[in-house]
Amino acid sequence: MREFVFPDPSLTGRAGQFVWLAINIEDEKNAPFLVMFPGEGVPTFAVLDPKDESVVLRLVGSMTVPQLHAFLDNARIAVAGGGSGRDADATLRTADQHYGARRYAEAAEAYRLALGQAPAGWPPYARAVEALLFSYQQTWFRGEAAGHDRCVDLAQSVLKRLAGTPSELAVAMTGLDCALALKDDAPDKAQRVAALEGEVRRIVADPKLTAAADDVSGAYGSLLEARGQAKDEAGARRTAEEWATYLEGAAARAQTPGQRAVFDSHRLTAYLQLGQPGRAIPMLEASQKDFPQDYNPPARLAAAYQAMKEWDKALLAADRALARIYGPRKLRVLDIKAEVLKSRGDLQGARRTLEEAVAFAEALPPGQRSEARVAALRKKLESWKEAGPPPS
Amino acid sequence: MNRLARASLLVVVLGASAPLLAGPTLPFVEDDYGRALAEARARKLPLFIEAWAPW
Repeated sequence: MREFVFPDPSLTGRAGQFVWLAINIEDEKNAPFLVMFPGEGVPTFAVLDPKDESVVLRLVGSMTVPQLHAFLDNARIAVAGGGSGRDADATLRTADQHYGARRYAEAAEAYRLALGQAPAGWPPYARAVEALLFSYQQTWFRGEAAGHDRCVDLAQSVLKRLAGTPSELAVAMTGLDCALALKDDAPDKAQRVAALEGEVRRIVADPKLTAAADDVSGAYGSLLEARGQAKDEAGARRTAEEWATYLEGAAARAQTPGQRAVFDSHRLTAYLQLGQPGRAIPMLEASQKDFPQDYNPPARLAAAYQAMKEWDKALLAADRALARIYGPRKLRVLDIKAEVLKSRGDLQGARRTLEEAVAFAEALPPGQRSEARVAALRKKLESWKEAGPPPS
Repeated sequence: MNRLARASLLVVVLGASAPLLAGPTLPFVEDDYGRALAEARARKLPLFIEAWAPW
């Protein structure tokens, strides 16, 4: 979004319609904001009514330029109040308010109702479907066992109506993710996964596809998981190679180093899936040169060298990243460093690094601190203490 | 657009944002909710928020 969407000249006229705020969730000074407005993913976009700080519209995930324009239009209508007089629009507004406040069960019910009330050609149809799918996923995370079932049913029932729209891929992919998350003994799981996998494959192969590049990349991730669950090693490899090829093409079309670097993380993941981490080294070295203050290139180099079992290079890269890094992401790099030290046979150094990670995780402020992450790190440290002699 | 499960695979190693800030097309206030909220109230404008991460 920061490289491909926000700089788009078509947004210039929008500058005076909103006050624009960017919040870096890794920056400790934004922790109080994150307590007030916790999120489920990055990026998250929201529009607040400044009178009462209520969230009138919210969306998790990336948007294309046209989708952002529509989001902004919908937000202005929501803040202004009034409406079309149509039941579906009024119900949608209620759904958006629940979604904005992260009341996903209530949001799901209201979106479902709004879609039922929607007349033919209702403009918000696609975004209401996407929000309902996301709400179903969230209700599952909060203990609603049927969340994924409903998500799969909805995705399968609306795909034909969304054919050729920018939402088609996102809906098929979310449906596939939900199908993959069904319990293995769920009725018809294999058939439902196969049907949605086929839809996602068909859509990503469409030369007229207008979805955002990271949605396409995400779709390949879902396809890969589908092949993994099917224990189809050759199919998984073919999918990972298609994914890498797609990303390399997107990176080659980038107009700036910043645009090219957007794809580094996805490409590294694809290369790791292929068992070819060395393929990531040239692009990461280029990014490291282009962005010497950015901790991401050395952090990713550390992960690549770790996969290549080049321990010394991995440690050097991890230390370069740690010299620049801040916020919760530091835990990921400390974990890589600890694993590399352990692999190299330095269990004492590995434990010290993990202890540093535990202390850092515990010291993070509310809004950034994750009890689950602290518990996982403590558990790992305990297991390493049991695995060998104590540090001298 | 909305994805969570599929994001997990990517976020394991890396994250997926660009290293640079947004271009000058939109006048973003950086990391100052109080200032942005006060400005939105004074100008009677809705407040657009992007929560992002550098990874």
